[in-house]
Amino acid sequence: MFDAVWRNLPYLLAGYWVTVKLTFFALIGGITLGILVGLGRISKRKWIYYTVTFYVNLIRNIPLILVIFWFYFVMPIIVGRPMDPFPSAVISFIIFEATYFGEILRAGYQSVSRDLIQAAYSTGMTYWQTTRYILVPIAFRRMLPSMITQSIVTYQDTSLAFVIGLPELVRRTSIVDGLEVRSIQLFGFVAVVFFITCYLGSIVSRRFEVQKERGF
Amino acid sequence: MIEIREMSKWYGDFQVLSRIDEVIHRGQTVVVCGPSGSGKSTLLRCINGLEPFQEGEVLVDGVSVSDPSTNLYQLRQKIGMVFQRFELYPHMTALQNITLAPIKVKKKSREEAGKKAMELLARVGIPDKASSFPANLSGGQQQRVAIARALAMEPEVMMFDEPTSALDPEMIKEVLDVMIDLAKGGMTMVVVSHEMGFAREVADEIIFMDEGKIIERGTGEEFFKNPKSERTKDFLSKILI
Repeated sequence: MFDAVWRNLPYLLAGYWVTVKLTFFALIGGITLGILVGLGRISKRKWIYYTVTFYVNLIRNIPLILVIFWFYFVMPIIVGRPMDPFPSAVISFIIFEATYFGEILRAGYQSVSRDLIQAAYSTGMTYWQTTRYILVPIAFRRMLPSMITQSIVTYQDTSLAFVIGLPELVRRTSIVDGLEVRSIQLFGFVAVVFFITCYLGSIVSRRFEVQKERGF
Repeated sequence: MIEIREMSKWYGDFQVLSRIDEVIHRGQTVVVCGPSGSGKSTLLRCINGLEPFQEGEVLVDGVSVSDPSTNLYQLRQKIGMVFQRFELYPHMTALQNITLAPIKVKKKSREEAGKKAMELLARVGIPDKASSFPANLSGGQQQRVAIARALAMEPEVMMFDEPTSALDPEMIKEVLDVMIDLAKGGMTMVVVSHEMGFAREVADEIIFMDEGKIIERGTGEEFFKNPKSERTKDFLSKILI
């Protein structure tokens, strides 16, 4: 019953590899830039705070598909030559996801109470010791489930890059469908691939849910 | 040991502490009471430099807290602090909570710090809880771990910020007993508390604060028997039922 899928499997899997690569770069870049965004959002320097907050509010109120689209058409004007869909998609995703990761990091940081930090200082620990042994481990533990969830969302959203012609899994499936006209089985296959991988991810995420009995 | 001279602090336009004068000698226990928002907790945080102040001076062992050249991290090693809501590190066991600063700050070996921590846990009455996480301890047990954590740095002064106000009534005594032991053992203590029984038993001086000012001070008996100001009388009549 998956005959059209089997016939085109190498082509489809090559598309899935593009999906995986895009997810990988989007997460590495998104989390790295997200750390800077998170730091900017808790910065005491007004101009940093307002600049980063403007960027976060702007991006978070625009649909991802528009960011991908818009960036693909604006980049050539800035760089002076056409840009391939893949780097263009990677950059769009990094810019978009960084705002979400940044907010998760900020929330994790702010979940650690001021008094707890002061308690660490009161034992004579320095700023760096307090950050390393108290702030970061607690904040990281608390934000891990959200980080995993957002990573899964990013992975799912990579299919939106089909609008700029990136030959990832969904785009290739739709090309195959144009020849084979087996929409239900072909897109059913894509759904199964995403379902299995995302479901595994959500199991991992649940494993890290804050344990009530330990309270963190 | 601690000398506070004409110290004032503002949050923006709002004055939280106004011209505080106080001397605490080695071995003394001073209890600070007063309505909420009177500046008691802020006073403690100014003594160990967790909060800055704008005027006056605080000297701990002759070292000025507000002097920019003072190493506050070093100064705080001498001043243990216990918080209202315990503030134990949730990701560490009771033992790790106690040994963290001795290992990282005083560079003690793990064995040495661990041995000392076990002694302290025995002293506060919960040697069997060394490997428990804070979330698995009762409030009273958590507060006793917090006291042990502060004592592990071998401080010369212990400050308590309403150490029993977040506790269920039946746990207050177990914490107060540890504090009474400490006071009687000669520790210099500054205690923000409304536990007047405790104050009566161990306080060398009781201070009443309101609106950022020290309104009245006295030794235990004279403070309770004939408070001078109306505000102190009013306050005492509300907490001594």
